[in-house]
Amino acid sequence: MNFVINRKHIATTILLISSASFAQNSFDAQFNFAKKLYSNENYFDTVTELKRLLFFDEKGEFNYEANMLIGKSYKQGAKFSDAIRYLTLAEINAINIDELYNTRIEIIRINILRRTTRRAINLLDILETDERFTDRSDEIKYWRGWAYMFADDWEQAAQTFAEIDTTHVLKALAEEVDDDLYSVSFAKTISYIIPGAGQIYTGEYISGLLSLGWNVLWGYLTINAFVSERIFDGIVIANFLWLRFYRGNLQNAENFAQEKNMVISNRALNYLQFEYDGLKP
Amino acid sequence: MKVVFLFLLLCITTVRFAQTGNIDFNSPNNIKKFADYLYCDDDYFRAAIEYERLADINRSDTIEFKIALSYSYIKDYYSAIQKFSGIINSSVYFNEAKLEEMKVNFLINDFAGLRSYFKNSFIAVVNKYQTEGEKLFNFSYLFTDDELPSKDEFLLPFDVNEEEKISSFYDWKKEPPYKKGTLAGIMSAVIPGSGKIYAGETGDGIVSFLTTTVFAFIAYDNFKAGHTTRAWIWTSVAALFYAGNVYGSVAAAQVHNAKITFEFNDGLNVYLNKKNYYITKYEFCD
Repeated sequence: MNFVINRKHIATTILLISSASFAQNSFDAQFNFAKKLYSNENYFDTVTELKRLLFFDEKGEFNYEANMLIGKSYKQGAKFSDAIRYLTLAEINAINIDELYNTRIEIIRINILRRTTRRAINLLDILETDERFTDRSDEIKYWRGWAYMFADDWEQAAQTFAEIDTTHVLKALAEEVDDDLYSVSFAKTISYIIPGAGQIYTGEYISGLLSLGWNVLWGYLTINAFVSERIFDGIVIANFLWLRFYRGNLQNAENFAQEKNMVISNRALNYLQFEYDGLKP
Repeated sequence: MKVVFLFLLLCITTVRFAQTGNIDFNSPNNIKKFADYLYCDDDYFRAAIEYERLADINRSDTIEFKIALSYSYIKDYYSAIQKFSGIINSSVYFNEAKLEEMKVNFLINDFAGLRSYFKNSFIAVVNKYQTEGEKLFNFSYLFTDDELPSKDEFLLPFDVNEEEKISSFYDWKKEPPYKKGTLAGIMSAVIPGSGKIYAGETGDGIVSFLTTTVFAFIAYDNFKAGHTTRAWIWTSVAALFYAGNVYGSVAAAQVHNAKITFEFNDGLNVYLNKKNYYITKYEFCD
């Protein structure tokens, strides 16, 4: 009798184990297949296979993982809006604090990448004020620093990285970039005082000297006309020529400063993309 | 006996669980279901790929048509035309496919191809949507510089409620409100700035008139006062502005013409989009 009961137990155990394992097999296999595609950088097929999994996964067991991975795959394909859509779905299906946090950080990273930095900073503000994430403040600051870098606010970025660690490598980089940047308002102001000075300040010496030359010429002719009591000549030269070149000089100084700043910022971002080893958006 | 019973129970339960938990994602039926879902989720590229995975035997007329539509929606017009033209005469979507083919011709701006297709193929083989085809055929004339048919002939396929709009398109095409570049140039040569005003650039015209005449006056005044060198400098400046004013007037007329042509074509496209190229909406996702 005992022998029969034992066999029954064994059979029942096998039954339960095999049923449970079969119940998960094809979905797990599909998910693993999608993960393999993702690790092979085949992002298009990853999305297809995960969408297939989600479509047939009526119990919604893979809602978090699959949506998360779809979001990441779309991100790799630079389809940022689609990525955010699926990451938001993952966020909705997150079942614990870690999952919730991870999806939000992913969404923030995408907002940084696509330069919707104001949105990224808003989301970081929300995370920072959420008591559940107080132990992750350094990571939140880290991404805030990145958001400032992508928003071209290198000074704020340096300050934010300094809050994590005063010797943080990105703090040093952000400070260096901030020091290299030209002040647009300074370039304009000195061009108000000495035409061409703003251009010379930004390193555009020929343009600066030409601007100075034109302004001196038309200024001289204007003054000369007024001194010679040729008032009409003076007004016309001043209005049509001198003011035109003077205004052009101001605009030029501003444009040069902005262009140079863009080059400096892009060079720094390029360095971060290819040379920096830490976590990137 | 008990062992046999338990073994059978094990098999039955496993199979039952396998039906709910184990899915053959790549069975033809599941591929079709998934493709239908993708199609209705506007993921047309993936939908087309999934439909195409189905073997010929599992493809219905609807699937063939939806593959072609998917390519059309993702703007892969080359594949779309191939697929639409591959839809056979016996398909229930044959007529729709032919009309869609005309639409694709429209979207790739192949108006000559569209007309030849309509005359040589559409009229002969399609037994529905003749009026719609004719509307698209007539519309194609509005996009090209080819000679327009007579107005009555042109308006014939259109409904009474759209006749007014189509008539205004026709009139515009027949006599577009272009400005003549040569006339603008001549006008500005006679009265500086007037050519620009004629081309619709009133502000620019007034500025041109003022600058040219002011510099000309200064030159004249300097000649009169005996300052010959200064006078010649101002003459050069005035001549430069004068030449610029003439050239600018011709350019303004050309820009005006390009602008109104663009706006006209844009208006046609908006109208056709609103009318969905005279194609009825399909109810695949309802």
